[in-house]
Amino acid sequence: MSMKEPVLLKRVGKMKNPASVEEYRQLGGFSAIQKAIEIGKDQILNEVDTANLRGRGGAAYPAGRKWRQLFAIEEGPKYIVCNADEGEPGTFKDKVLLAEDPLSVIEGMLVAGYLFDSPEGFIYIRGEYRAIQKVFQEAIDNACAAGLLGTDILGVKGFDYTIAVVSGAGAYVCGENSALLNSVEGKAGRPRVKPPHLAEVGLYSQPTLVNNVETFACIPVILNIGGQAFLEMGTEDGGGTKLVCLSGHIKNRGTYEVPLGTPLADLLYSEEYGGGTSSGRPVKFLHLGGQSGPLAFPEQLDGLYSYQGLADKGLAVGSGAIVVLDDSVSLVEYSKKVLEFFVHESCGKCTPCRIGTTRALELLDDFASDKAKAEDIDNLDTMLANINGLSACGLGQAAGVAVRTAIKHRKEEFSSAARG
Amino acid sequence: MSKLLSETEKTTIIDQNGSRQENILNILLALQEASAGGYVDQETIALVAKKLSTTETKVFEIASFYSMIETKPQAAYVLEVCNSAPCHFTKSDEVSGWLEAELGVKRGEPTSDGLFSFRFTPCVGACDVGPVIKVKDAVYGDLSRDKVKELIQNLKKSK
Repeated sequence: MSMKEPVLLKRVGKMKNPASVEEYRQLGGFSAIQKAIEIGKDQILNEVDTANLRGRGGAAYPAGRKWRQLFAIEEGPKYIVCNADEGEPGTFKDKVLLAEDPLSVIEGMLVAGYLFDSPEGFIYIRGEYRAIQKVFQEAIDNACAAGLLGTDILGVKGFDYTIAVVSGAGAYVCGENSALLNSVEGKAGRPRVKPPHLAEVGLYSQPTLVNNVETFACIPVILNIGGQAFLEMGTEDGGGTKLVCLSGHIKNRGTYEVPLGTPLADLLYSEEYGGGTSSGRPVKFLHLGGQSGPLAFPEQLDGLYSYQGLADKGLAVGSGAIVVLDDSVSLVEYSKKVLEFFVHESCGKCTPCRIGTTRALELLDDFASDKAKAEDIDNLDTMLANINGLSACGLGQAAGVAVRTAIKHRKEEFSSAARG
Repeated sequence: MSKLLSETEKTTIIDQNGSRQENILNILLALQEASAGGYVDQETIALVAKKLSTTETKVFEIASFYSMIETKPQAAYVLEVCNSAPCHFTKSDEVSGWLEAELGVKRGEPTSDGLFSFRFTPCVGACDVGPVIKVKDAVYGDLSRDKVKELIQNLKKSK
């Protein structure tokens, strides 16, 4: 946990009881909701716009734009949903906020509740974090007891808002926002066909805001320091700091808060962050943003860790995961692991995703067992392109990204494995 | 934990967890945790359907869709080894080998006393301490062969 003055992790590890409203207040908490009420709704939207906060779950959609779209809709009630289904392998940063500063997430959801006159917020926490759900529930109960959730919150007449914890139960696809809403409604978590957009037809077919845990935690920061100051912590194309998760063959594994725009090489090699590989062997490639993100090879690592900096190299921030793999790892073996994951997690609704991921994995098995022929490289790439193009939701659309970037940048490794 | 739940006990758990469709996952997970075999049986599914005014088919669809909900009896301690890429390449396959040797069973098979079984699971969000084993809600990280041995001993003692 680096950075001289963290803003997202500033309370982490400093509270005896992370669910305590009193301790949260002593460390600057609940000043943002107070300020939000003072400055009014238009100004809240302006600050979030100015901050250029990009969605921290993976899609990087500007939060300001999402909030304005929902604000413009007249029908109600509107629901606030926090996506805490952190399931992208290599990602474990929302967990830190949920367990160690839950009230910062609650405060972000509270600002949204105020802005959209929402009666109720939901936080969908993955089933693997059952122990953390209890901490979060305790934080909600404490906030209720302190009059920060409930009716006439902070003395504002008609500001009635509660937050409920909903548990996931082991389904990666529920990280997709429309699947998540189905799951909150108590249905099987299969994605919906879009449009309509969730801002219009979301939870219980009502207008709905869905944001990631870290995105909500950024909201109090923006209101406290101002949108402009938040923007300046990052880069023009995305303000603020980002929680980054280093794992794999890296010496200092863990969650770090880094200003967007930090050189990517610093994240890997400086002692403040990754400290180089754990094995001392050279980095062969990185996997950025979870299993649905692209692989990054050494020749692409000379840029900045920012939305545009990575996009310029064909890469993406995604969830903030950086999995480091050294030169002991075979790309064919790695690709197999990625596809195994998607085979397991495909919900089965779209045929190209359900069957395509299985067929692609079989083809990768051929590469691993000397049965693949030279033309199978193109077959694999085409198959993955079709899965991406023909699936309805982000899971299928991203299932082939990692393997396709491997083929694009290291075709020779697949060629030398094509001995059939 | 070890005895079968009565219908009244199950009803209490359902009521404690809200007894409405939105809470179905919380309800099923809580019933599973309290059950003798670590799973929700057909009788329990029928009761949930009745309480939530829905059909058994719909409850079963939910139970089968979500991988944390079991519909068949489980060992008392199911050791779940994360095998997503970050853990796999920090030696989670070795953990699987150690468990096979320590427990004397293959992946997916229960030990003869019904105490243990092990299997793979996708990412549990603890890649910073991989390789990891998850047992119920607890995650054990930075595993070595000795730590795996110790974990099994401790679980045996706590039974």
